[in-house]
Amino acid sequence: MTTQRYRREDADATVACALEDMALLYHRPSGQTHMVISPVPELLDQMGDGAALTPQELHDRMAQLYDLGPREEALAQVEAHLAELAALGLVRRA
Amino acid sequence: MRHQLTLGIGPATFRIGSAWRQPLDQLARLYADYPQPSGTIADFTVRLQPAGFTRRWLRPSIFITGDHGLADAAPMSLAHGLLAAEMGMNLQMALGWRRHLLLHASSVERDGRALVMTGESGSGKSTLAAQLGERGWRLMGDEFALLDLDTGMIFPFPRLVSLKNRAIDVIAGEAPPERMGPLLAGTAKGDIRHLVPRADAIAAMGQGARPAMLIFPRFGPEAELRAVGQGEVFMRLTQASTNYVALGEPGFAALTRFVTSVPARAIDFPSGDAAIAMVEQLWDQLP
Repeated sequence: MTTQRYRREDADATVACALEDMALLYHRPSGQTHMVISPVPELLDQMGDGAALTPQELHDRMAQLYDLGPREEALAQVEAHLAELAALGLVRRA
Repeated sequence: MRHQLTLGIGPATFRIGSAWRQPLDQLARLYADYPQPSGTIADFTVRLQPAGFTRRWLRPSIFITGDHGLADAAPMSLAHGLLAAEMGMNLQMALGWRRHLLLHASSVERDGRALVMTGESGSGKSTLAAQLGERGWRLMGDEFALLDLDTGMIFPFPRLVSLKNRAIDVIAGEAPPERMGPLLAGTAKGDIRHLVPRADAIAAMGQGARPAMLIFPRFGPEAELRAVGQGEVFMRLTQASTNYVALGEPGFAALTRFVTSVPARAIDFPSGDAAIAMVEQLWDQLP
């Protein structure tokens, strides 16, 4: 279980647009547009306060709002999403 | 260059230089009804020059170049000089235009609203726009639709319509011969003939229109209509835009506005008449 903490980039760093079936994120520092589907927008929403969260803490925030299923599986998915988002520059390792 | 011509098409001005007179004479005839651009500063320069030192006279062969060039562009025969000039202008627009989000799409207008049609080469978008342009719609362009970054309006780029292969006979049956260019046989894209847009479309080439519908046409065996989700529309339009990345955030804002406000449909059509009937029906159903 990782204790790595992640923090969302400044709110100003991305511009979001919700489409019917996905969300778009325009990342100002890189000029890249990311097309993301659930649960990525929800994960980023939960990180919107700028807190540095471990995957466990983010999972627990999500679990209060959504039925995530078995904890171990959901946690592994949250960790994988955070690693991907960090690679894209949308979250930072704190 | 020995021979020069300046053309204004929509908001863009091109200065075309050529080592030979023939392509410019053909261009001048076909663009005779276009307004002469004011001033002398062109947005783009297109140069048609010999592929090699002797190639101006000996099996003359054209190399297209200009402000923006493609290193691997193959030389073309002088007989296809008109096509070379048109390709050169398209290339400069595709690579250099920054004032609008440039969509590789045809567009037509009726009652102040624009119908935008995009698809791969061979999808029929160009022929469909040309046919609609002969049947009561205003042709805004067969190749590029210009999406205004501030207002979200579509602006015309009504260059000559490039008709390929079977489309030539289809349109020649509807448009008068004086609006058709010479047949350019055996080009890399097959036979090509250019169509001059109607005079009213040329006269209105500075007038934009609010986009009201997006269509992905496809020439196919059976008529079919389907809705297209916003995510797919966005992805296909970024692929259809040559300057989306270069424009940065204003491009993102303009495209998302378009995608979230303009209904989109994909249509498969077995004939031009079927396509026009489908378009007219969809158009009539708009609020």
